[in-house]
Amino acid sequence: MLKTTPLYGYSSIVINQAAFIYATALLVLVIMTFIATVLGPVELHFLDSLLVTDEIVESYILWQVRLPRILFSIAIGASLGLAGALTQGLFRNPLADPGLLGVSSGAAAAAAGAIVFSGNLPWGIPEALSVWLLPGAAFCGALGICFLLDRLARWLTPGSVIGLLLTGIAINALVAAFIGLSTYLANDEQLRNLSFWTMGSLAGANWMVLSLMMLVLMVAFLCSQRLTRQINALSLGETVAAQIGINLKQLRQRIILMVAFLSACAVAWCGMIGFISLIAPHIARAMVGSDHRQVLPLSMLFGGLLLLLADTFARTVAIPAEIPVGIFTALLGAPFFLSLLAKQRKELI
Amino acid sequence: MTQDQLLMTLSGASIRARKSRLGPFSLKIQHNQRIAILGPSGAGKSSLLQIMAGLHEHTGQVEFLSKPMKQWSVQELACHRAFLPQQQEIAFNLSTEMIIGLGRVARNHDPQLLDIIQGSAKAARAEHLLRRNYQTLSGGEKARIHLARIFAQLWDQQNGILLMDEPLAALDPGLQIELLSSIVGFCQNRSHALVAILHDVQQAIEYFERLLLIKDGKIMADLLTHPAPKKELELLYEMRLEGISRPGRKDLLIPCGLGFADIS
Repeated sequence: MLKTTPLYGYSSIVINQAAFIYATALLVLVIMTFIATVLGPVELHFLDSLLVTDEIVESYILWQVRLPRILFSIAIGASLGLAGALTQGLFRNPLADPGLLGVSSGAAAAAAGAIVFSGNLPWGIPEALSVWLLPGAAFCGALGICFLLDRLARWLTPGSVIGLLLTGIAINALVAAFIGLSTYLANDEQLRNLSFWTMGSLAGANWMVLSLMMLVLMVAFLCSQRLTRQINALSLGETVAAQIGINLKQLRQRIILMVAFLSACAVAWCGMIGFISLIAPHIARAMVGSDHRQVLPLSMLFGGLLLLLADTFARTVAIPAEIPVGIFTALLGAPFFLSLLAKQRKELI
Repeated sequence: MTQDQLLMTLSGASIRARKSRLGPFSLKIQHNQRIAILGPSGAGKSSLLQIMAGLHEHTGQVEFLSKPMKQWSVQELACHRAFLPQQQEIAFNLSTEMIIGLGRVARNHDPQLLDIIQGSAKAARAEHLLRRNYQTLSGGEKARIHLARIFAQLWDQQNGILLMDEPLAALDPGLQIELLSSIVGFCQNRSHALVAILHDVQQAIEYFERLLLIKDGKIMADLLTHPAPKKELELLYEMRLEGISRPGRKDLLIPCGLGFADIS
């Protein structure tokens, strides 16, 4: 269905430009991956560890610790970038972001609730289910917040940028209260688990979660590719989109499901990592314009790149200690968000 | 009026808003007919147009191409009716070609797309605006891009309907006339019906064959443009009009003062 549509709206020059940007970004990502594998508390010589197998410790660190973590950070970054691009497309608003709107914290709150309250249940939870407990809870939380947000913002302040962001603030506050309650009720072990959610860390990476995350990302990407034309139509406004034959309700539900799923997986496996989902689509849009056929894949690419960069800093700045990566992305993201506000100042007032 | 000439039928269609009630509207639109909707602001013209476009919740019956409006899928409907709303904001900075092309987003297979974008841009006098970014265009240029999108939407169809909410509002007088004749020509070539909300009484009389006068949420009058309905228009706008009859052409109506009450 998609394949029959030519890439209209572009001259061949622009298509070549886009191809150049993809190629450059991919190249940088590969180079970054190599650099990141070498950096760390234990010095690794990449080629040596690949070729020489008798250095057991080094090859273990490379294959079981560093490589999964690097790939995991790319996968999580890509899913955050995709979630951000989809959210901005859905709300027709370049300031929308799953973190700012409370979707990620909704997922975190549900996960926090699951950590604390599942321990207090009189009956135990079977082992096989417990792996999926946090992602499941996070998914329900993210989904709930997404639908709530969509309804609330549409009802309270239709079409307003500020209204949407303010609704996000209110939801964030509500969810923070729930996280606070969970923290208050938690015991010591649960408390340690909880602090992981609020700061975000990629230290939990292993091949199992990596392959799950890759699967989630692939499915979400393929689904989103079928919706790019419709998301483009949505940026013409809801009336026009309905007029040219877009089923708004269905489209909205599909995007919300994808955003909730992506944010929930990211939050469940590495806690709250802010601002990647805001910045990555912006870089993509600055480079190729606002056609979502290009913005979605490029946001993934830049999201992966950004998070890999942030995580490499996080684990190498204070060797042998490790700083939670969420702190770095916030340091990077908050000034960026302010600069966006400055740029849009006229439209916001 | 035979049954197969009928394009759209509204019977008792009405909208209940929080305070007021619009309608009930009842009217029949035939194929290839040109109808201008006139009336003071806030009279319910836009809501009526949205009912016709199948985009507004309403009670009563609306039938389009002998099928109830509620049974049309949005995709099917988009291939037979095009609706140009009044305010058009675009969230992101898209290229003009893309915006025009999106008019045909409902079609899954569309091999002629690039030619149709070219053709409809030409028909809307927007050919020189292709390959530009929408955000850099002036108000009048933006209006032309949206018009081109509507043209693209029904480019290869027959017997559809175009619904336009003040399509000429942001344009200078010369371009208004140019685009209006282009719209009318587009519709005539393809037997599309045209329903447009206008503000200019003379344009309505000159280019349309039927007038729908809307006041206080009701259809005040439904009449032909020839001979020019001077009295009804004076009642509609509560002002005086000066009528000038011209041999071989439709009458000229010029607003010439307030206070309709003192001439009656």
